[in-house]
Amino acid sequence: MQQQDQHGLSEYVDIRYLDPATARFSETPGGFVRLVIGEEESYPRVALYRAFPFSFPDRYISVRDMDGNEIGMIKDLNEFDEKTAKLILRELERRYFTPVITQIESIKEEFGYAYWDVRTDAGPRRFTVRDMQSNVILLSPEHVLIIDVDGNRYEIPDYHKLDARSRKYIEDLL
Amino acid sequence: MDRLDSPPKELVVTCRSLGISESDLVAFVAGDLDDAGRYGEVWFALTSEELLVCKAHDPTRERAAFAAGNSDGLYNIERIPLDQIDEITTENLVGNGFLVVTVSGEPRRVCQFTNSQARKFGIFAKVAEKARKGEPVREEDFSDGRPAPFCPRCGRLYPEPERAICPHCMDKRALTLRILSFFAGYKAHIAAVIFLMLAGAGLNLVSPYLGGRVLFDEVLNPGGRYEGRVFEAVVLMALFNLASIGISIMHARINAHMTAHVIAGLKTQVFSAMQRLSMGFFTRKQTGGLMTRVNADADQLQYFFHDGVPYFIVNSLQIVGIVTAMLLLNWRLALLVLVPIPLLVWFMNKAFPRLWRLFSRRWRALRSLNAVVNDALTGIRVVKAFGKERQEIERFGRRNQRVYDVSLQTGYFTSTFFPFLGLLMHSGGWIVWGVGGWHVLEGEITFGTLMTFINYLGMLYGPLEFMTHIVDWWTACINSAHRIFEILDTAPEVAEKPDPVRLQPMQGEIELRNVTFEYEPNKPVLKNVSFHVRPGEMIGLVGHSGAGKSTITNVICRFYDVQEGAVLIDGVDVRDVAVADLRSQIGIVPQETFLFTGTIAENIAYGRPGATMEEIIQAAKAANAHDFIIKLPDGYETVVGVRGQDLSGGEKQRIAIARAILHNPKILILDEATASLDTQTERQIQEALKRLVQGRTTIAIAHRLSTLRDADRLIVIEEGKVVEMGTHEELEALQGVYYRLREKQREALAIRGVAAG
Ligand SMILES: Nc1ncnc2c1ncn2[C@@H]1O[C@H](COP(=O)(O)OP(=O)(O)O)[C@@H](O)[C@H]1O
Ligand SMILES: [Mg+2]
Repeated sequence: MQQQDQHGLSEYVDIRYLDPATARFSETPGGFVRLVIGEEESYPRVALYRAFPFSFPDRYISVRDMDGNEIGMIKDLNEFDEKTAKLILRELERRYFTPVITQIESIKEEFGYAYWDVRTDAGPRRFTVRDMQSNVILLSPEHVLIIDVDGNRYEIPDYHKLDARSRKYIEDLL
Repeated sequence: MDRLDSPPKELVVTCRSLGISESDLVAFVAGDLDDAGRYGEVWFALTSEELLVCKAHDPTRERAAFAAGNSDGLYNIERIPLDQIDEITTENLVGNGFLVVTVSGEPRRVCQFTNSQARKFGIFAKVAEKARKGEPVREEDFSDGRPAPFCPRCGRLYPEPERAICPHCMDKRALTLRILSFFAGYKAHIAAVIFLMLAGAGLNLVSPYLGGRVLFDEVLNPGGRYEGRVFEAVVLMALFNLASIGISIMHARINAHMTAHVIAGLKTQVFSAMQRLSMGFFTRKQTGGLMTRVNADADQLQYFFHDGVPYFIVNSLQIVGIVTAMLLLNWRLALLVLVPIPLLVWFMNKAFPRLWRLFSRRWRALRSLNAVVNDALTGIRVVKAFGKERQEIERFGRRNQRVYDVSLQTGYFTSTFFPFLGLLMHSGGWIVWGVGGWHVLEGEITFGTLMTFINYLGMLYGPLEFMTHIVDWWTACINSAHRIFEILDTAPEVAEKPDPVRLQPMQGEIELRNVTFEYEPNKPVLKNVSFHVRPGEMIGLVGHSGAGKSTITNVICRFYDVQEGAVLIDGVDVRDVAVADLRSQIGIVPQETFLFTGTIAENIAYGRPGATMEEIIQAAKAANAHDFIIKLPDGYETVVGVRGQDLSGGEKQRIAIARAILHNPKILILDEATASLDTQTERQIQEALKRLVQGRTTIAIAHRLSTLRDADRLIVIEEGKVVEMGTHEELEALQGVYYRLREKQREALAIRGVAAG
């Protein structure tokens, strides 16, 4: 009896890591990700979530069915073969769409709203940030996350590495 | 018809070559990300027969080809017949979304778009679904009832999506006039203030003249007109000074009286406007800041009118007066003296903003330091329990270092800035002394004139410095005024109909008919919910947290209006019912009990202010609250609320129930009213509730399913849908969602037993 209860408890807290040997991810014709585990379990489409989107973008990835139930977690993408890792990374990058700002052309502040004109790795972009103090976030001493009025996200992994002019814009904000 | 976006010329031509004319387009939408996840363009055209996906690989090349008259094959167009499509939906992710089209059972990601486009695509998907099902598409399908997120005049995004305000296009003149209109009732005051200011400025101009020209040339100078009459001269100067001070005291007082009065009136207006507004206005993320800033905004206006405007007038008069006086005295010297002024203004304009930025940075650093102190002290039990004192000290140290750094920066800056500013100011003096001294020696001007110049020059700097930040001040003030007007002008979304149906008395019958509701666009929280509750019935709402239970109660109370379907009470759509009748006959006991600052008796009588002491005590007894209240030293007159006596969760809850009992509603909503209580207290409250529930329609939400044993029927909600409905026995027998929920709770209880034992 006692044993059974203990087993019940651990079911709640144990993490089921997906084994690269049995978990097979593949791309569906529609551009989503399918998962087959062993012979029995098969999911026509899965959703992928990052547990630590900033610190560990390719580790601790939660794999869920389309009802939101967790199927298991990927401990480290590098355990999987390159093709699978690429597929999963692409899917993750789609979910956590966060262009990296490579250069700041200008930030114009007016009435407490800031109009940004930047270059990103996804192309040039203009956006508006409201209340810069709460929407320009320093994730670590060098990593900056910016959230615009629509909820779009942009990041600068290390603002010290920007060119002098862009860096000055950021330093003035922080 | 509004079709969301308009197609580019090139695409229209291409479509025409496919036999699709512009009038065939039901909807057209442009996406902003290409297949590779870069910013780019993708177009979707919807006709009544098909969905066209138009992708351009290289827009510049295509435009060039188009210009050359070749429009064939420029676009990679894919045509998906609507009758092959099973579903068109959007999925919201982090910072972007997908348009997903399911063709022959296979979901396909046809495009990715940024959050800025999410609303548009949501509408597009909805319209496309209608077209697919062959339903007629109407004008109102193209709106989700929310204002456009960008300024119609300049096309810029609104900085705050929920506020249709474009800072570029906002009419500052109209705003200014509107602010001034508050002072309309004070014409006499204003006239007096302006007259006094003019007089004061005049007197101010005379003083340096007395202290310079008159004193040195006529009194101290041998052969002067008033030679030797030092005493009279000093008395005269003192008198002028006194008069000038007297005048400024007078206008400051009149002004203080006037502004304080106007602002107090304004605050009352704003507060009553806020009370009128709908729930949606308060819960929207963006308005949170808006509300908390209202008081600060009113103060901002007050300071501006109290200090800003008068100083602006006085200082402008002063500047004009001084420059004129100097020009009249000796225009050549005056022009020379004024030479460094533009340089000075430029310098102040450059350096002051930097100084404010440094100050605000230091202020932020200090605030974050204070947050650490606050955290560590309020959470001292946790800190000690985990033995993390060292860690907290380190955290403090890091923030403290930052404060130190910024303070140092500020210190360095000010220690060079102010001396430099002084130097620039003095440079004017050098010119006067140098050139003026020369002139004095030459005999062109008198020593008195020189002294007058020096005095005037000294009086010029203050007003000039003031002028450098009056513009920013004014802008901030306009912005504050704007926020205030916005609240004054917001029409409640949940407005009463002109000729509402009175439900007095209410029977208590509730019906939800195909209700679909969303707080935010494209995120439906209730999906096609229908159920019927008979008068006097007790219904339990069951489901995981986040399923939409509280939302159901919100739409029944009409805190929000539903997007589709209808909520009916006694067979009448709640949108047609008088709001007062809804409020007076629907009572809520929420999970988070809120007690106002005031006595327990006042809190119980909140819903019925005229209640007698007997009624209050009876209600408290029915709520099992009487006994603990009596034991308090101040009894029913114990002050509770934010600054009052600390009551336990269960005690507060029982006061809230007493409040509901006294309110005596026909429909009672218990939203997890007992969730945070121990079983003993819960039992007491259960008893109280049993009394409360009698003779009313009750909707009870409870996390613990055992709490709902008395319910006549249960409705199980999952992800905004009704999935099961029936009595306990029926649902148990069904072995469905409810059954599993119960099983899980039993398991959880067992686990807790293990953990505790
Ligand atoms: N004011 C709101 N604005 C936006 N979303 C909300 C708001 N209130 C609730 N929601 C969302 O609606 C869903 C249902 O919430 P709710 O009705 O409170 O659930 P329940 O009461 O069943 O726990 C949740 O996903 C919640 O995040
Ligand atoms: Mg709730």
